[in-house]
Amino acid sequence: MFLPLAGFLGLSWFGKRFPKLLGGWFACAMVGGAFLVTLLMLAQLYSESPADRLNHVQTLYPWIVSEGFSLNLSILIDPLSVFMLLIVTGVGALIHVYSIGYMHHDKEFTRFFAYLNLFIFAMSVLVLAADFFFLIVGWALVGLASYLLIGFWTEKKSAVLAARKAFVMNVIGDVGMVIAAFMIFEHFGSLNYVDVFKAAPTAFFPNDDSILLITFLLLVGAFAKSAQIPLHTWLPDAMEGPTPVSALIHAATMVTAGVYLVARCNALFTMAPFTMYLIASVGVITALFAGSVGMVQYDIKRVIAYSTMSQIGFMFLAVGVGVFSVGMFHLMTHAFFKALLFLGAGSVIHSMADEQDIRKMGGLRYAMPVTFITFFIGSLALAGFPLTAGFFSKEEIVMNAYYGEYGNIVFWGLAIIAVAMTGFYTFRLFFYTFMGKSRTPEAKPHESPIVMTAPLMVLAGLSLVGGFLGPWVHEFLSPVFSGTVPLHHDDVMLEIIAVSAALGGILAAVAIYMTGKDQLAFAKQMLAPIYEALFNKYYIDEIYDFLIVKPVKGIGKFMEERAEKLGIDFSVDELGRQVRELSRGISIWQSGKVRIYALNMVAGMVTILLFVIFM
Amino acid sequence: MGSEFVLFVSAAIFSIGALGFVIRKNPLVMFMSVELMLNAVNFLLIGYSSFLNSLDGQIFALIIMTVAAAEVVVGLAIILTIFRTRHELDVDRINTLKG
Repeated sequence: MFLPLAGFLGLSWFGKRFPKLLGGWFACAMVGGAFLVTLLMLAQLYSESPADRLNHVQTLYPWIVSEGFSLNLSILIDPLSVFMLLIVTGVGALIHVYSIGYMHHDKEFTRFFAYLNLFIFAMSVLVLAADFFFLIVGWALVGLASYLLIGFWTEKKSAVLAARKAFVMNVIGDVGMVIAAFMIFEHFGSLNYVDVFKAAPTAFFPNDDSILLITFLLLVGAFAKSAQIPLHTWLPDAMEGPTPVSALIHAATMVTAGVYLVARCNALFTMAPFTMYLIASVGVITALFAGSVGMVQYDIKRVIAYSTMSQIGFMFLAVGVGVFSVGMFHLMTHAFFKALLFLGAGSVIHSMADEQDIRKMGGLRYAMPVTFITFFIGSLALAGFPLTAGFFSKEEIVMNAYYGEYGNIVFWGLAIIAVAMTGFYTFRLFFYTFMGKSRTPEAKPHESPIVMTAPLMVLAGLSLVGGFLGPWVHEFLSPVFSGTVPLHHDDVMLEIIAVSAALGGILAAVAIYMTGKDQLAFAKQMLAPIYEALFNKYYIDEIYDFLIVKPVKGIGKFMEERAEKLGIDFSVDELGRQVRELSRGISIWQSGKVRIYALNMVAGMVTILLFVIFM
Repeated sequence: MGSEFVLFVSAAIFSIGALGFVIRKNPLVMFMSVELMLNAVNFLLIGYSSFLNSLDGQIFALIIMTVAAAEVVVGLAIILTIFRTRHELDVDRINTLKG
């Protein structure tokens, strides 16, 4: 039928030595090609009836064939995977183009694109996998690619540490996933999506212990990758990587893998309502937590990072209350405007000579008009301003937080607060960076080259119109979620409240940051202790360090000293010494001294004598 | 006077010779000890040939004496040569056979 491998060929890029620019465009072409192929897949799917679309399993390569267990390298082409793949390759292609401009000065240019392509490949594997085995393969590969990309600037110690942190937390998630996979195999006898999901409704009682455990373990994996509480600490630090990396990984793709996982396994999750509550709760708590911390950060990328965490919390909230396609819809719109914001931030950073502290920026509106406008659009979308893409998806989430199958008023209330926070921090960032007078006029900011601004504009357009794709998304994805389409609740009251929350946040930002500085200082003083807590991310990093890192390091040290030195080194050394002693003893016989030989002879004689006498 | 007497005397002289050989450092004295051992054996042989009324012992003793003489010649020649080149009369220091 068709080969999505065109995109996979990007992998063959790995390690090629090309002249710089050619390499960059080659990588873009690979991803662009993958995008086109995905479009083809979309068309193909459309040519079939909705019911048929579910089960396109294309076996690429039979791998393990043994009695009772076979494992094929196969991919599943269904609405959900195509949907995700469109986002991955589409936004990915845009980011590739952008990177050509951003990484222009970097001497490791080609390596960057190699890694980027690797990442797209890994993500494709993850999304296209037809069974849990390859899901985990893709999962781990994505973790690897993100490690390589975050720590891309290997000279920068903070970057390397951040990459390591990200990888370690990811691995924790991997462990959960693998165990879950084992359990799934044990229960269903197969790791195949098609088999498992078909059998799910009949295989368990709802809230059965085993299904709870399975879904919980899957959640561990999802939360680790999507940076939800409590496995979220790697995300802000991951901003050490180049900005396009942040855009790709942390806005559009990797962090959404967790949401994808839940959506994909919705058959399993619907069998475990308790887990669903857990998902929604963690989602909304993360949204609040991240939103609150994001309100006081002053590094552009960190604010956006916390925003990402918060928005993914929204997505989890959506899937947690049972409206999976709403979550996916928000995933899509978020990919648009978040990538836009990240790339816009990158544009700013690039022109301010790698400055990331917004307290040192200001007045960029005049220096970088295109970035200004696109960033503005992105901010509107993020905050959920009416008629932007973000508005539609967020509305639906908030609405369903109340009306959804597992929704309740608490979720809804918390979600509203998070929406307000979103508006606030978004525009705080915006005002600080773009409005007012420049705080460092000597920096001479300039607009970025078109390679960078073109993707910005495309994404801005998508952020505006993407919202109208909502109904299409729901319908397209509905077969995957057992044919349900989320109902559009026309509760005007709730809508008004939600909108006003968003606008309220924005206005609060306006009030504090556009008018005099005194308000800001005043507010800070009043809320000083809260401010401290927020600023330090609720000290979670420190808590983790104390509880986990120190003991683990301690154990390592202990083993080193005792076990290694005394135990193993000791015994090995002893052995060596004994052998040496022995050989020294034996070498006496070779001394060349006549009398020693004489002694030997006499000794031999005596021995024989004794032998003869006593035998 | 019984056969045991010959045995004991012979054994005693032999051990004295052996001990002397091992303990002494002077090559000449070591050689003398070797002669002692040979003589002890001769004594034993002859003594027992008398008790067992057989001539074999005496014939063997004669052969041994011949061999001893030849050996003395060779041995003394070696010692003399070594002494001439090294002026050393301590057997422990002649250890070029070492290793």
